[in-house]
Amino acid sequence: MDVAISTLLSPIILFFALGMGAALLRSQMSVPEAFAKGMALYLMMAIGLKGGVEMSKNPLTMDVILVLGAGIVLSFLIPAIAFACLRATTKLDRVDAAATAAHYGSISIVTFVAATEAVRLSGLDSGGHLVAVAALMETPAIITALVLAARGGGKREKPVAGSERGELVREVFLNASIVVLVGALIVGWIAGEKGTASVQPFFVDLFQGVLCLFLLDMGLSAGRGLRQGWRQLSPMTVGFGLYMPLIAAAIAAGFAYAIGMPAGDAALLITLSASASYIAVPAAMRLALPEAKPSIYLTLSLGVTFPFNVTIGIPIYIFLALLITGQS
Amino acid sequence: MTKHLRIELIIERMAHKRACRVLEAAGMTGYTVLPAMAGYGNSKRWSRDTDLSASGDMVVIISVGDEAKVRATMEQIGDLLGAHIGIVTTTEVDVLRPGRF
Repeated sequence: MDVAISTLLSPIILFFALGMGAALLRSQMSVPEAFAKGMALYLMMAIGLKGGVEMSKNPLTMDVILVLGAGIVLSFLIPAIAFACLRATTKLDRVDAAATAAHYGSISIVTFVAATEAVRLSGLDSGGHLVAVAALMETPAIITALVLAARGGGKREKPVAGSERGELVREVFLNASIVVLVGALIVGWIAGEKGTASVQPFFVDLFQGVLCLFLLDMGLSAGRGLRQGWRQLSPMTVGFGLYMPLIAAAIAAGFAYAIGMPAGDAALLITLSASASYIAVPAAMRLALPEAKPSIYLTLSLGVTFPFNVTIGIPIYIFLALLITGQS
Repeated sequence: MTKHLRIELIIERMAHKRACRVLEAAGMTGYTVLPAMAGYGNSKRWSRDTDLSASGDMVVIISVGDEAKVRATMEQIGDLLGAHIGIVTTTEVDVLRPGRF
């Protein structure tokens, strides 16, 4: 209960609520687009660097490799479950269901950052390798979704006019979030704590403030996305956006229990599995499955699941992690 | 003054490189890409500041060419718009220097 209250009353969540409330009330407040993109880059660099520095302190053990493997398996598996749920409970066609499922198998780096802060506030430790898990979980879901869409004849007979060989692979594996996150992780790993000491004031001391500003912008985006796209969502589809994170969290908790992860790491793996992408996957889906409706998957991921996760979800996932590690 | 056709294509940002390749392949000698700020279509308002992926952003592509090139381009653009969000229009325009198109 304390974890839930401290998470909900933390400045980052309160700023998120402020942004979302302002957007829903049709406030004209906005964060300049280029500044928001700059903040996203900063946060991904900071979290990647921090993860890399933490990884440099410890050797790459079998436990770490198991967690990395679990992340990949979860990212392949969760879209298949999400797809089955969508087809069973909503009227979405195969292509829309596959595109939406891809978002739920991939991850939200902002939810991960918010969960990292909540885990820290709960007094739990987490390993830097979870940043690598986050990067690894970005893309397998896209592959599962493309297979699911193609199995039902959703694949086009010939490529869309103007398509270029390799454009999807570039978008999926070399999108900005993966390049920055993995790049900063490697930089942090190579440079270590001593080597990155000179950039600590920028990447550590300013982190919380920038995160608050970024969450304010995310609240505005989520609120505006919801306001503009809610008519496209049926009640069952909205329901999916709320129950799917919990299903994914339960599956990830099972993996974390089987591997024997410590509570802080387990909470982050569960959060990653429960989160839904709204940066890397929407862009990839516009190239891979252009027939799928972005108003459904983006509104659901950004307007429903993201607010749910950062307010209610994260305390549940931390509680779940404490439960499976016998610390609740 | 010479009569030419001006293509105005409003298309989702993620597909604009595909559209540009179509124009280049058809022999159009130039085009300009402009960002679109906001709009309304398919019973839905959209604006460029609603998501960080910018996958919902739209752009406007303007190109001018002679009728034969533009007709060749439109067939491919039709295929592109069969998959991607967007609209295309052509307008007859007067150009000062036809040699440039």
